[in-house]
Amino acid sequence: MIKLITKSLFFGIVFCLLLMSPNKIIAAETVEEIIVKANNVAYYEGKDGRSNVKMTITDAQGRNRVREFTILRFDIEDGKEQKYYVYFNKPADVQDMVYMVWKYLDRDDDRWLYLPALDLVRRIAANDNRSSFVGSNFVYEDISGRGLALDNHELISSEGDVFKIKNTPKDSADVEFSYFEVYIQKSNFVPVKAEYYDKQGKLYKIVEAIEVKDINGHPTVTKSKATDLAVGSNTVIDFLNVEYDLGIEDEIFTERYLRRPPRKWLN
Amino acid sequence: MFKKLIEFSFNKPKTIIAATIVLVILAAFQFPRIKVDTDPENMLSEDEFVRVFHHEVKREFAIYDFIVLGIVNEKNSQGVFNVETLNRIYDITEKIKKIDGVITREIIALSTKDNIRQGVVGSVIFEWLMNGPISNPRQATVIRDEALDNPMFNGTIVSENGRAVCVYVPIERKNISYRVSQEIYAIVEQEKGDDRYYITGLPVAEDTFGVEMFKQMAISAPLAGLIIFILMFFFFRNIVLIISPMLLAISTVLITMGLLIGFGFPVHIMSSMIPIFLMPIAVLDSVHILSEFFDKYRLLQDKRKTVFAVMDELFTPMLFTSLTSAVGFFSLSFSPIPPVQTFGVFVASGVMIAWVLTLTLIPAYISLMSEKSFDKFKAADSQSEDHHGIIDNVLSSIRRFSIKRSKLIIALSIIVAVISLYGITRINVNDNPVRWFNKNHQIRVADKILNKHFAGTYTAYLVLAAKDKKAQVFIEPKMLEYVEKLQKLLVEKGNVGKTTALPDVVKKVYYELLGGDRTNNVIPKTKRAIAQCLISYENSHKPDDLWHMTTPDYDKVNIWIQLKSGDNRDTDKVLKQVDEYLKNNKSPFEIEHNWAGLTYINVVWQNKMVLGMLMNFIGSFIIVFFMMTFLFRSPMRGLISMIPLTLTIVFIYSLLGFIGKDYDMPVAVLSALTLGLSIDFAIHFIQRARELYAISGSWEKASKELFKGPARAITRNAFVIAIGFLPLLVAPLIPYRTVGFFMFMIMFISSIVTLFILPAIMTVLPGIVFNKGRGKMLCNCKYCQVIAVAVSVAVVYILRGYTQVSWSAALVVSIAVVAVMGGICSKISDHKFCFTGNEKEEKK
Repeated sequence: MIKLITKSLFFGIVFCLLLMSPNKIIAAETVEEIIVKANNVAYYEGKDGRSNVKMTITDAQGRNRVREFTILRFDIEDGKEQKYYVYFNKPADVQDMVYMVWKYLDRDDDRWLYLPALDLVRRIAANDNRSSFVGSNFVYEDISGRGLALDNHELISSEGDVFKIKNTPKDSADVEFSYFEVYIQKSNFVPVKAEYYDKQGKLYKIVEAIEVKDINGHPTVTKSKATDLAVGSNTVIDFLNVEYDLGIEDEIFTERYLRRPPRKWLN
Repeated sequence: MFKKLIEFSFNKPKTIIAATIVLVILAAFQFPRIKVDTDPENMLSEDEFVRVFHHEVKREFAIYDFIVLGIVNEKNSQGVFNVETLNRIYDITEKIKKIDGVITREIIALSTKDNIRQGVVGSVIFEWLMNGPISNPRQATVIRDEALDNPMFNGTIVSENGRAVCVYVPIERKNISYRVSQEIYAIVEQEKGDDRYYITGLPVAEDTFGVEMFKQMAISAPLAGLIIFILMFFFFRNIVLIISPMLLAISTVLITMGLLIGFGFPVHIMSSMIPIFLMPIAVLDSVHILSEFFDKYRLLQDKRKTVFAVMDELFTPMLFTSLTSAVGFFSLSFSPIPPVQTFGVFVASGVMIAWVLTLTLIPAYISLMSEKSFDKFKAADSQSEDHHGIIDNVLSSIRRFSIKRSKLIIALSIIVAVISLYGITRINVNDNPVRWFNKNHQIRVADKILNKHFAGTYTAYLVLAAKDKKAQVFIEPKMLEYVEKLQKLLVEKGNVGKTTALPDVVKKVYYELLGGDRTNNVIPKTKRAIAQCLISYENSHKPDDLWHMTTPDYDKVNIWIQLKSGDNRDTDKVLKQVDEYLKNNKSPFEIEHNWAGLTYINVVWQNKMVLGMLMNFIGSFIIVFFMMTFLFRSPMRGLISMIPLTLTIVFIYSLLGFIGKDYDMPVAVLSALTLGLSIDFAIHFIQRARELYAISGSWEKASKELFKGPARAITRNAFVIAIGFLPLLVAPLIPYRTVGFFMFMIMFISSIVTLFILPAIMTVLPGIVFNKGRGKMLCNCKYCQVIAVAVSVAVVYILRGYTQVSWSAALVVSIAVVAVMGGICSKISDHKFCFTGNEKEEKK
């Protein structure tokens, strides 16, 4: 859901900010409206989108690991089904690896992993979206978004220029947090920060937008960071060359293309 | 000077007593500042390589020391894999997470570990092994089968037979282990059902030992004191009089401990034993004084005269017995182990404090007693006539026997010595902190049961590091196969229960990705394939688990080795197996290896300690020899006085070899005590023999006197201390039992050896013992040669102890020293200074 600042890169609806006065927003928005808008800003900007991503994982000892990949996104319908294609460039040993997601709202996502060195396409069972994304401090759900229906939402503050929304999972057995709070900018509905509290009620993880740019009229997070307070590690993602509405073909997001990366979209 | 001191003490008893009380109070004021350190790791200094490396490994691979909680169910047909037990374990794990000081995210348990397995139609799943409470038995079976199928968990979290499960509880610091273990006990005690709970692991054993040790210290030292008190009453029948040695012992212990704490030294496992070491030493001299006083008072009937007569007689032997004990302990200060140094210095100081107090407090105390109270001596004398009679009868039989059968005794001693030397060769050097507890202690029990079910609760880490840090050596297939082969070999050899390392993860992920077919349980053929398996593994809930096993640059691997035994001896075998493997199998890339882990650290300090103690022992042996040579004005007499001590030590240590008791830390430390205490009787005996001989001029006559007062004092001392420490034999902590055993044996054997062998030698070699040769020892060429040999041994000792000189070089040097000294000796003995000296002697 909202939290995914990270993903905000992936862009969708053109926000006609000019047409709405901030006051009007505050007065009019219900929690549901806020989170729906924020979700759309975070994950559904444009009809499709692509970005080159540089991910820097820094562990508690200050050691860095860098992963570089390209993300392609295709929306079937705003706020609903969409598809992701993640192609890895670096590290060199994992070049050509592809990770693909078909995201649904009413059931578990379909996920595939293509491992070129094993010449192997594996379905990854997606019964748990809280596992790490390639060893980073982001989880899969951060990348493709957490279903809004999984949580109860509560507007706990609208002071200043952000909405602060508390999200409590309906089924707490599935997740490692007890709740999380998301800060959403009133001006553009970009979720700029999410704070996760563990089952003991202690803040243990923060996901935040470090840099937000307007790209072709789409408010876009171009740099975000996930910090694990307990471990002392963090992951920074730089979204480079973010583009929207390129006309990426639906057929690319199929098993066939895992082994045959669509070069024209990947550079 | 000392005479004046004794006189002053007798004349101004109140001043002395007041001064002592002030000192004791000052010392007592230091006690609240006590710092306790029960961490055996501190046996090594902080900058010791293995310690530095251990902490580097812990940091680099994010490893923590852990407490092992085992849950065992022998009743249920499914073992622990039934719904109730698993849910209980889940609850317990959740509660453990809340304990202060526990590294929650690194707990290793069913509910905290991620598993990779086959999902529906050709998919793989990353899934918590146990995601929450379960409701039906089928889930329990699935959890068991999945855990057993994962090389990371089988034998570590789950026992092969499904009867037991382990929770590894990592902690921030080792010194909270005891507290955390108590909190875990409190949690599991609330649980019902057939499950049994066991807690073990080196940190908890070591920390618990520290806690119990202090309790034991508070019980043992006073208890030994009480028994010594009762025994002295049995011998002397005068409560007021025998209070004095008790006060002396207590003052000595308090002042010494006050000094230790006041100087800011932490009270370590070693220093907690100071009271129990000082107690007998402090009492020894006073028992000699009381014994003589008791006997002499009946003749002199005047306390002043008696005190001075006794002090005059005993001054020299007391000085030398104290000095030898002090030297024995002080030599520990050259040990490479900081707590042992502290221990040695403060026991040595305590010995000298006890000596000063003996010269001051005892005369002052006697001075304050009314003459009337000594009247009881007469009564006591008649009352105790029986046991006096028995002791005297026995002693006089010993006298007759050892004089008549002197050669037999000497022959027997040689035979015993030879057999004992054989026994010493069978000594096993070994230690294991878990074995410091007696067999029924819950930690010992837990250790036994959990190591029966699991691959081992003892942990060592073997780190392999590539010389070329950039080459990502440890994702090269050849390199992983090399590591895998080493792992297999270690388990086959039998000392290692299980190893967990990078190849296990790679293989597990690889065959699960390929559909779960075990024929693919191998290391993939290419570096890219391995890298891709690993990045797949990083998609789990706990990607950081990978970094316990390797580095992000893949330039190092950390092999987690589980051992079923914490015996240093067994760890040692594993070290050798690894060395052998690395030597005989060339690594495809250049690597170096190092060890970490508490089990390994114990091996390192033990080796240092054993070798260090041996060196210290040789050193103090030489020093004591020089002191004896000086005291008795002859190296031959010096050698003779060392015989009882040597036989005592050789005999006691041979027992270790014969009965199979390990040479461990307490035994090593006790060698200093053995040396210091077992020379005491010989000093008293020879010194008095020479004095008596000087009076009577006949060994036959002197021996009769010798076997009255002095031999009686020796016997009384031996009884008081040997029996006083017997209760330690049932102490719950094994090191205390060892101390009790040694005290008993030292007193028992050295008194017997002194009373039998010394008279036998005096009978056979009266000339040497009673000084009929040339006056100056350097003038006797033979004596001079003995000193030459001793000097060369000393030189070798110093070379070996303080420099890196090899044995052969040291040997050459020592031979050279002997030769040179030999030359000097013959020169000196021809020198006129000897003749003039001799003539002077004769004129006198």
